[in-house]
Amino acid sequence: MRAYTFTQPRGVREALADAGTDTAFLAGGTTLVDLMKLDVVTPARVVDINRLPLRGITLDRDGLHIGALERMSDVAADRNVRRDYPMIAQALELSASAQLRNMASIGGNLLQRTRCGYFRDVTTPCNKREPGSGCSALTGINRTHAILGTSDACVATHPSDLAVALVALGTDVHLVSGQGTRTVPLDTFYTLPGSTPHLENVLRPGELIAGITVPRSMWAANSVYLKIRDRQSYEFALTSAAVAVEWRGRTIRQARIAAGGVGTKPWRLPAVESALAGQPATADVFEAAVSAAADGARPLSHNGFKPALLRRTLVRALTVLAESR
Amino acid sequence: MTVSPLGRDIDRVDGRAKATGTARYSADYPAANLAHAYLVTSTIARGTISAMDTTAAQNAPGVIRVYSPFNKLGLRPVPGAGENYAPLEDTQIRFRGQIIAMVVAERLEQARDAARLVHTTYDEQTPRLSLADEPRVPATGPPGVPAPSATVLAPGVPSIEAALAASDVVVEASFHQPMQHPAAMELHSVLAEWNSDQTQLILYSGAQLPHTSAMVAAGRLGVAPTAVRLIAPYVGGGFGSRVFPWYDAALAAAAARQLNRPVKLVLSREQVFTVVGHRSAVNQTIKLGASRDGVLNAVSHVSDAAVPFVGYRWMQPAVDVSAVLYKTPNVAFDQRHVMLDVPPACAMRAPNEAPGAFALETAMDELAVATGLDPVELRLRNYATTVPGTDRRWSSKHLDDCYRIGAQRFGWSARRARPGSRVDGQWLVGMGMASAIYPGGRRPEPIQARVQLRDDGTALVSSATADTGTGATTLLAITGAHGLGIPLRRVRSEAGDTALPQGAPSVGSTAAASTVPAVEAAVEGAVAALIQEAVSNPLSPWHGANSEELTYEKGQLRGRGQSMPFGRLLTTIDRRNVEATATAQPGPEAGEYKFHSFGAHFCEVRVNRYTGEPRITRFTTVVDAGRIVNAQAARSQLVGGVIFGIGHALLEDDPLELDTGRVAAGNMADYMVPVNADIPAIDVHFLDRPDPVINSLGARGLGELGTVGSAAAVGNAIFNATGKRIRSLPITLDKLL
Ligand SMILES: Cc1cc2nc3c(=O)[nH]c(=O)nc-3n(C[C@H](O)[C@H](O)[C@H](O)COP(=O)(O)OP(=O)(O)OC[C@H]3O[C@@H](n4cnc5c(N)ncnc54)[C@H](O)[C@@H]3O)c2cc1C
Ligand code: SF4
Repeated sequence: MRAYTFTQPRGVREALADAGTDTAFLAGGTTLVDLMKLDVVTPARVVDINRLPLRGITLDRDGLHIGALERMSDVAADRNVRRDYPMIAQALELSASAQLRNMASIGGNLLQRTRCGYFRDVTTPCNKREPGSGCSALTGINRTHAILGTSDACVATHPSDLAVALVALGTDVHLVSGQGTRTVPLDTFYTLPGSTPHLENVLRPGELIAGITVPRSMWAANSVYLKIRDRQSYEFALTSAAVAVEWRGRTIRQARIAAGGVGTKPWRLPAVESALAGQPATADVFEAAVSAAADGARPLSHNGFKPALLRRTLVRALTVLAESR
Repeated sequence: MTVSPLGRDIDRVDGRAKATGTARYSADYPAANLAHAYLVTSTIARGTISAMDTTAAQNAPGVIRVYSPFNKLGLRPVPGAGENYAPLEDTQIRFRGQIIAMVVAERLEQARDAARLVHTTYDEQTPRLSLADEPRVPATGPPGVPAPSATVLAPGVPSIEAALAASDVVVEASFHQPMQHPAAMELHSVLAEWNSDQTQLILYSGAQLPHTSAMVAAGRLGVAPTAVRLIAPYVGGGFGSRVFPWYDAALAAAAARQLNRPVKLVLSREQVFTVVGHRSAVNQTIKLGASRDGVLNAVSHVSDAAVPFVGYRWMQPAVDVSAVLYKTPNVAFDQRHVMLDVPPACAMRAPNEAPGAFALETAMDELAVATGLDPVELRLRNYATTVPGTDRRWSSKHLDDCYRIGAQRFGWSARRARPGSRVDGQWLVGMGMASAIYPGGRRPEPIQARVQLRDDGTALVSSATADTGTGATTLLAITGAHGLGIPLRRVRSEAGDTALPQGAPSVGSTAAASTVPAVEAAVEGAVAALIQEAVSNPLSPWHGANSEELTYEKGQLRGRGQSMPFGRLLTTIDRRNVEATATAQPGPEAGEYKFHSFGAHFCEVRVNRYTGEPRITRFTTVVDAGRIVNAQAARSQLVGGVIFGIGHALLEDDPLELDTGRVAAGNMADYMVPVNADIPAIDVHFLDRPDPVINSLGARGLGELGTVGSAAAVGNAIFNATGKRIRSLPITLDKLL
């Protein structure tokens, strides 16, 4: 960890004024401090944003609004979230550990960095950490890496569970900077690695996440987040599925589906959604609908199992949801 | 009346200190004028350092000195103890993650930041890294260890191949186990402090063998063993990673000597994965030949273990399991080594037996399938009552009862032999079992303990064994209280300090069985010293009596119609205490008998039908380890051992990158060990039958036993659930899709 200047502003305007190039905002610190200790991130300035008023978990006609500084544990425990957006609570509770969830914020969660081991080890080449240095994972150990949205420059997954659920539900992110505020759909907030894997989203230098809005819908309340991993807890997803269904009797009126652990960003699956629309909730329908889920996947030397695992994860999630009706 | 604590559920005497955070581990010791060291490690696996620029590091804030091959500390390797080279003494790179420099600074953060500024360039050579492709060489074991390769054949049988060919049923299977790490919770750390004229060194550093560690550090520093005292009453886990000291202790001590101030060195978690040893990767092939009714005719076990060029640990799974577990007229075990440019290896918990039993006990399950026999019945049919190929008997062996009682406790009879035949919703349910065997004898060398009786009526039991979390300090107190016949609360105990009499090393499951006789002898000696005082001290009511007239029982001296507790006697005669140090060593029985502890594991697993993840739902282990001294600590050892085995079965894997020599999971985020959610309640049952030979209490060792065979029980249960036989560890969900 290198020396840096540290400020603790009380207002958003002040925080934005403190920020410049080489600045990192500090929320829970569970990603940032880790990466600073590993020398992966070396900001010259750290702006502690915990005193900013980016708080609140409220439900209104537009949907669910969550301030960027709300803690993962508080959001997971919120009554409205549990009732109307169960997959959000599930995605949170299947993340990290209780101690981490008490510290970690929603804004920080969306901006957490990949868990690719090479990214976190400064003795190895990594395009995301050091553009142009090469991608060690392409020829290295890549069992946990992505199969969708990858490029020859980077094959790292986006690690957030929450983001998968939020993308499935069509969430908006509210951003604020010296230039004003703007709102971006979370799905397009994240960018594909292409030849610039060090750029992961459309956030501008010095711009803050203020909060998110998850719209009201006919499906969010009938939703599940299923996370598959080697260890039963305290591990990132090998695959995950966020599935929400609007039912009409035993028929799926429409579905919203995204997958984690497979993509370089939270991966929406519109083809699966449309294959399910208007269909009865049967095993055959599920199997047929997910058959194309991993189309276009580029498996690596150690993660050839992921396309099949993705399809099975989706079928299992759909089955769980259908059975819980 | 005083109830002996022996065999009961006794809370560890240091439990409160540990739970409340007042226990001091090595890195917790303070020192005045302390300097902090941080290591720099190599980023290539083989070659030489062509240049190292330390200017920026040397000029960084707070930096006192940068040590490197160009500014050496003058350490030397100690033959036979740890690695065969000393870091910073030459420019050769032997593995990736080798220590190549050490920065000493006023503060930890300054040392760490400066370490990142050391710039090294290398002349690289192609590292030799493939266990599969590098040449096999015949194994040579350390002196005194049985030959790692041997063949025993029945009269008239020309070869093991002929014996196999003549068998009705032959099972052949090959197994792979990757590099595994002890991953002890306490980071390897040391505080090195010399006295003012630099004649005496104190090392605060966790050790499984305090005296040996001090001696090895002394050898590396070129000072007399008596010049080094090692203090480590609390050790945050050993599992083989603290058998010998790594170079952290010697490096810190050498820097402290040069700088004339105390130096603390704490490895980073990542550094622990390469500076500290691991269990080597190993490939094994087993062939079993049996009659149609499952009676073994031939066992062949070949194992190819990775051996680091930097030395230290030879792995020999074949001999240590297949040579002792089953009765068979023909057995051949062959150990081969594959030399690699990898970090040092160490004797990780059940070093040979854990991988060996995984292979043999999986193969036995395959034989059960091939013969249509129940796995328990198959094992009983091949039960060994003497060491195979000899007429040497065990001191005590009730493994057959472990199988039977275990099967009953677990509900084994509900198992369906046909794989995949039990389904519960989304889950395939299976049951598997396996045997455990591990040496349970005493250390061959003399082991010492001291017992002191004090005028306040308490006793102090001291022995420089190590308490790596095993409960050794508690065992000292229990044995002392039992021997003296006084309540446990009146006994204090201390360990982990080379200023104390040399105790049993915490290795090879020998500490308890070796410590008990030493404490008993010291109790006897202390009581004799007490009686001597009673008859010779003019202030004593027994002054002038004959020592035969006095007897000691339950804290009291009796004789000539009166009695007195020892504390009162000592007060009366104005003595603070009496004490005795005693030594115990095994007698001729050690050569006559084989000493093993035994167990049987039973496991129920669920495998998801969609996504393949295996989850363990029940586990029963029944153990024959002689008399149990502390039921609670013993259960913890077994539970911990089984969790180790579950980790090996399902999770633990540090893939070695074959082009770079980098260990890809060299940190606790990527190296998966089980978490609580992976572990069901583990049912441990002790037969608790005293061993008539080993020592007066009849207590054998059990620290490693749980780790042996437990991975096979898991794998066998997975086979029963799914019909898939996974012979390459860990058994992760992708292999079960
Ligand atoms: C051991 C471990 C296990 C974990 N397991 C999981 C898991 O299973 N699933 C999962 O989803 N996550 C997991 N995580 C990640 C964890 O959820 C994130 O670290 C956490 O959510 C980050 O939030 P934070 O508030 O601590 O962020 P910080 O570390 O404070 O910040 C993270 C990044 O976001 C930036 N930032 C933070 N807030 C804002 C804001 N409002 N505006 C602009 N920039 C901002 C920071 O500058 C920094 O770059 C794990 C983490 C650890 C350490
Ligand atoms: S996958 Fe991406 S993050 Fe990982 S090494 Fe390659 S470039 Fe770096």
